Amino acid sequence: MELLIETARALIANKTRTFLSMLGIIIGVTSMIAVVSIGQGATAGITERVSALGSNVLMITPGFSGGSGGRSFVGLSDVLTKKDVENIAKMCPDVKDVTPVIQNQFPVKYTTNNTQAQIYAAYPNIFDILSMNVEYGRRLSLQDLDDYAKVGVIGSEVARNLFGTDEPLGKTVYMGVSIGNTNKKIPIRIVGKLEQTGSKLMYNPDKMIIIPFTTAEGRIVNTKGNVSTILASAKDSDSSQKAQLEIDQVLYLRLQDGDKYNITSQDSILGAVSEVTGIMNIFLGSIAAISLLVGGIGIMNIMLVSVSERTREIGIKKALGATRKRILSEFLIESIVITFVAGVIGVLLGIALSKAVELAASAYDLETQVTWGSIMIAFGTASMIGLFFGIYPASKASKLSPLEALRYE
Amino acid sequence: MGKKKVISLKDIWKIYQMGEESVHALQEFNLDIDEGDYIVIMGPSGSGKSTFLQITGCLDKPTKGELFIDGVNTSRMKDHQMAGIRNNKLGFVFQQFNLLAKMSAQENVALPLVYSGVSLRKRMERAKELLEQVGLGKRLKHRPNELSGGQQQRVAIARALANNPPVVLADEPTGNLDSRSSEDILNILKDLHNSGKTIIVVTHDPEMINEGNTVVHILDGQIEKIERRT
Repeated sequence: MELLIETARALIANKTRTFLSMLGIIIGVTSMIAVVSIGQGATAGITERVSALGSNVLMITPGFSGGSGGRSFVGLSDVLTKKDVENIAKMCPDVKDVTPVIQNQFPVKYTTNNTQAQIYAAYPNIFDILSMNVEYGRRLSLQDLDDYAKVGVIGSEVARNLFGTDEPLGKTVYMGVSIGNTNKKIPIRIVGKLEQTGSKLMYNPDKMIIIPFTTAEGRIVNTKGNVSTILASAKDSDSSQKAQLEIDQVLYLRLQDGDKYNITSQDSILGAVSEVTGIMNIFLGSIAAISLLVGGIGIMNIMLVSVSERTREIGIKKALGATRKRILSEFLIESIVITFVAGVIGVLLGIALSKAVELAASAYDLETQVTWGSIMIAFGTASMIGLFFGIYPASKASKLSPLEALRYE
Repeated sequence: MGKKKVISLKDIWKIYQMGEESVHALQEFNLDIDEGDYIVIMGPSGSGKSTFLQITGCLDKPTKGELFIDGVNTSRMKDHQMAGIRNNKLGFVFQQFNLLAKMSAQENVALPLVYSGVSLRKRMERAKELLEQVGLGKRLKHRPNELSGGQQQRVAIARALANNPPVVLADEPTGNLDSRSSEDILNILKDLHNSGKTIIVVTHDPEMINEGNTVVHILDGQIEKIERRT
């Protein structure tokens, strides 16, 4: 205890040296904690964005597309059909909603404004499946479906491109569709506008125009019952996997070939993404390890310098009767105090730095995550280095005869 | 009336290996120092007087021979036992003062007491007492660099006395001082001698011949002659 007070006094008396000794540890710990927390925050952010897809959405796409002759709806496959949709609706108890989708990109025109839009022709329940809300106007209705109505709900970006700040409701846009050698202009009356959401990884509601499935099938192109994709939703996120299995059984029964179709769920995308984030974590971990190493070298240098500077002091103390053990315990306690205080400062600075990065990168919604693991590793490693290089040179110096140490300049 | 031998060197050899060459710093060195002696060790540089001081001061071990301090043979002592001897049997005064720069005069003087396990309050009291004795009662909190050379050396002497050792070893104590400060230091040493301490001063300064009761002349690692005065 007394030794501790002595040490504290000595450390305060040697402010500059104490500060320099601490600096290496502080830098190492700070950078390690900041880098790891930013990395983990980024990983979490990516995962979150994937999760925005909706945990219960299932997307059934053809495994490989063979053209059916129609050049226009190239996205249209001859693998998936309306019949599959009926079967899924009937035979899969864990599927809540299911809709066929005919989907393609077409030019759309309003007065003199042109833009490209993703046309999704589907049942009205597509709004539920993809959790899309209308900002104003209305959704598509079953009546629209029955009527083959030439109506559509427009995404926010398409609306902005076509109408600027004007009200799109009730206006008619023209969709340019070319089939064979004939070009058709299909008028679509806008009945609703979607809320702006941003990209959802697999689709982007902002760039869509959603029209009734029957309208596309009956008035624009004869698909002979084929669809481009099928969208389904499971009853809840827990039954997602069961629903996927059920759909798989239904499709396999008819197609007899698992390669002909893919069922994509949030889980399967997450699987792919986790590989990417795994690589990213290794990358960031290496950076953190390097910063810790650099910090460690800093600690080492200042400790070595300060011990050689103190060899004379060790000599004096030995001449006055300090034993080797006594000298060693002085250095040991000093190193412990330095590394502990510096470690704590480093942890606090690391947390502060990651918060600062979070603020600076608030546009990207990055939430940094400081974990106990990174604190332990950073603190532990820096302390080990600090202790070792605090004690090892001191141990060497304390072995010198007092005489040699006194002569040391 | 036989006086007590406080230090006794018996056939001490110290051989340094300088590359291929071995230097005989001390050869066949025999000397008895009685309690209360004031001994001046005199010799040119390279004569072995520094080596003598280091061996006698337990700062270094002889290559051969035995050293008795206060009747105890130190030849087979372990490191920590030697440290104990340095701590409470011997007091050192160096030419370079060797004070710790970051400590106050009082803390410097108290340092040997730290190693003999004296409590903080007691050692601060003792240090104050000793500094008052050497006339630095008003300089307790000064750092060495705030003191003159003579004052620093007085702090060093006070430090040497901390554990009230029987022997004070001084290595060119006036070597770095002007004549007035030197006189002060020599007076303090004389007072210590009068109070019963054994004083050993190593020097090449011929003026020191007038100090002490015994002058030992060293040349080439051997005793050339011993002058005793009464």
